[in-house]
Amino acid sequence: MKKNFLSLLACCLILVSGTAQAEVNAAKAEAFVKDVTNKGIEEIINANISQAEKDARFAKLFNQALDLDFIGQFVLGRNWRTSTPAQRKEFIEVYRQLNISTWSKRFDEFKGKNFIFKGTSPSNSKGQIFVNSLVPMDQGEPAKVVWRVREKGGEYKIVDIIIENVSLAISARNEYTAFIKNNPGGVDALIANLKSKIK
Amino acid sequence: MKTAVKISLCSLLILFSVACATDGKIHRPEAEADPFESFNRSVFEFNQQFDKYIMKPLAKGYRAITTQSIRDRVRDILSNLREPLSAANHLLQADPKASAASLSRFVLNSTLGLAGAFDVAEGWGLKKDTTGFNETFAKWCIKDGPYIVLPFLGPSTPRAATGLAFEFIFDPVFWATYHDANIKDKVAYSYAAIQAISIREAAMTLTDDLERNSVDLYAATRSAYLQYQSKLRCFNDVSGDTAVYDFDFGIEDDVFEEMEDE
Repeated sequence: MKKNFLSLLACCLILVSGTAQAEVNAAKAEAFVKDVTNKGIEEIINANISQAEKDARFAKLFNQALDLDFIGQFVLGRNWRTSTPAQRKEFIEVYRQLNISTWSKRFDEFKGKNFIFKGTSPSNSKGQIFVNSLVPMDQGEPAKVVWRVREKGGEYKIVDIIIENVSLAISARNEYTAFIKNNPGGVDALIANLKSKIK
Repeated sequence: MKTAVKISLCSLLILFSVACATDGKIHRPEAEADPFESFNRSVFEFNQQFDKYIMKPLAKGYRAITTQSIRDRVRDILSNLREPLSAANHLLQADPKASAASLSRFVLNSTLGLAGAFDVAEGWGLKKDTTGFNETFAKWCIKDGPYIVLPFLGPSTPRAATGLAFEFIFDPVFWATYHDANIKDKVAYSYAAIQAISIREAAMTLTDDLERNSVDLYAATRSAYLQYQSKLRCFNDVSGDTAVYDFDFGIEDDVFEEMEDE
C-alpha cells in the first residue's frame, strides 16, 4: 500500500516535471522538420542535377539539420567520458561521414514519397520534443517516422530519427558499446573500423 | 504424428517463456536482455553462413527471374493467406472491428482480388493491419523473456517463438492440406520456401546496408530487434510510444553505467 502510494507520488512528480519541461515551441519544431524534409525532397530528390551535386547538397542539409556533436556524444555513451578530446573529435567526424555516405546513397528510395505530419509528443529531456510523421508505402501500412528535435537558443536541430520505434541513436550506441567492449583496441579500433567503411 | 510433435514443441516453448520471463523494463541494457550471448552469437554466425551460401543466392536468383510486379503479386498472395490469422488475433486482442476488417479483406481479396494477388480491399478503405500471436501475448501482458537467436529463423524471444509456432499450427494452408497425405508435405515445404525467399528478397537492400556499415552486426541486429519488440505492450500500459525511445541524454548515461558495472 505504502509502496503504491510512493510510486503514485513519483508518477505525479514525473508528470509535473514533464509538463514544466515542455517548453519547446511545438509548432516551430514541426515547421523546422517539415522544412528539412521539403528541402530534401524538392532540392535533392526531385531536382534535375548530377549525382555529385546531389551528394554535396545532401551533405550540406545533413550538417545543417542534425546536431552531430550532440548525437556523437550520446552514441559513444559511457566511452565518451574516457575518450580524449582528439578521439571524440575524430569519432564525430567519421560518424558524420559514414552517415552522409550511407544516406545519400539510399536517398533516392524516397522518390515519390512524402511525409504526413502528425503533431508532436513531449520528451522527458529538457528542451527536446518529438515530431511525429507517417510515410505512406507502396504496399501495406505506412511507416512511422519520429524526429527528435532539440531547441537551443531559438535554433532547432534533429538529434535522433526513430523509424518504426527503432531509434538510430540508440541502435548505434548499443552497437558501438558492444564493439568497444569486445575489442581490446577500444575507441581507436572503432574509429579505424568506421573509417574503413566510408567510401 | 507430426502434429503431436509440433504441439509438444509449442508447450515446451511456452514453459520456457514462462520460466525465463524477466521484467520488461524499457531501457534495460541490451547485454542484460541477452544472457545467452555467446551461444546466440554462434547461432547467429551459423545463420549468416546459411544466408550467405543459400538464402541470399536464392533471393538474388528470384530477383533475377522475376519483375517487381510479379514479386508484389507473390507478396500479396502470401500476405492474404495470413489474413485469417490476423482476424483471429485481433479477436483475441478484443478488437472485433479490426478482426472483421481482416476477415472482409480475406474474403474480398481471395475472390475479387484473384486469390489475393491484388489488394482490392484497400481501395475500399479496408487497410491492411497484420497482427499475430506475439502481439496477442504482449497484449495479455506476457513478458517477452530473453533474446534468443533461432537457427534459420533468426532473432526471437521465447514469446515471439511461441507465437511463431502457434502461427505455424493455425496456418490456413496447413489445415487446408492436412487431410490429403499426398500433397500435405509438398505444399507445406514449398509454402515455407516461397515465404522465406520472398521475405529475404524484400529485405535485401536493408540487410546489405546493415552488413556494410555495421561494426558488430550481431549487436546491431539485436538492438533493432529488441527496440522493435518493445513497441508491443500490455493492454493496460498507457505510456505512449515515446516511452520506448525517449531517454535522457545525460541521466541515461549514469543508469547505463551502474547497470553495466553490477
